[in-house]
Amino acid sequence: MTKKIKLKISARLLKKKLRKDSTGGSKHCRFCNNPELVTEIDYKNASFLRKFLTERGKILPARISGNACKYQKMVAREIKNARIMALLPFCATSY
Amino acid sequence: MLRYEILFLTVPEITGDEIESIKSYFLKSIRAAQGDMLSFERWGKYRLAYPVNKNDYGVYFLARFEVALENRDALLKDVRGAYIFKFNTLIMKNMIHRLDSEASLEYKRPESLEDSPSDVDSFLKKNEMEGLLKPKGGFRAKKTEDKSIVGGVAFEAEAAIIATKATVEDDIENSND
Repeated sequence: MTKKIKLKISARLLKKKLRKDSTGGSKHCRFCNNPELVTEIDYKNASFLRKFLTERGKILPARISGNACKYQKMVAREIKNARIMALLPFCATSY
Repeated sequence: MLRYEILFLTVPEITGDEIESIKSYFLKSIRAAQGDMLSFERWGKYRLAYPVNKNDYGVYFLARFEVALENRDALLKDVRGAYIFKFNTLIMKNMIHRLDSEASLEYKRPESLEDSPSDVDSFLKKNEMEGLLKPKGGFRAKKTEDKSIVGGVAFEAEAAIIATKATVEDDIENSND
């Protein structure tokens, strides 16, 4: 007789799994497999970079925008350059 | 040859002569370094994301040039020095950026205040939507009747005719006497 062994999953991991499923699965990066869009990441193209800012002018985290690490670093660098040239706000007070 | 671009922000009330002086100085220093000027563009007037030197508006310019590696450092030092000391009243901010020599020169920029229509009426006229134009005084306002203008040449002529009639009547009265 062989006993059936049940795998124990902790409540914390179960909750984590539920949370992941509730948000609609994994996000995908918009720049991966899209080289034309990568060329648009430029400090002069402020209207495109505005997509990666919050209402207050903060940079959106990759956790929310879904960018891959490589492209998130590129976007953040160009946003910081655009901020220096006053094309994008450091801190948006009115929205 | 290495390719560079300079984006600089000037005060909003910059004149054509001042732009020419900046451009000519820039050309002269590039030629001295045996480089090539690729483009010098005026983007237009923009509303800034935050006030710079108490200015809410500014004009952007983008200049691109090529220079050899040997003369690069001297040229960039010259250009930076000119922006800081010579044109410090005109140029508020500048940024020098290295470009990929094989990449295309096309780029996208945000829409300036001069590109976008200033008011709704001109936008509607431009895009052939004149039916949406609001009549003067609103939709509910009464139509104003055309008034003939009294005064000027017509008024003087009428006055002259009346005056001649009066004199004629006076003459007739006098003759009767």
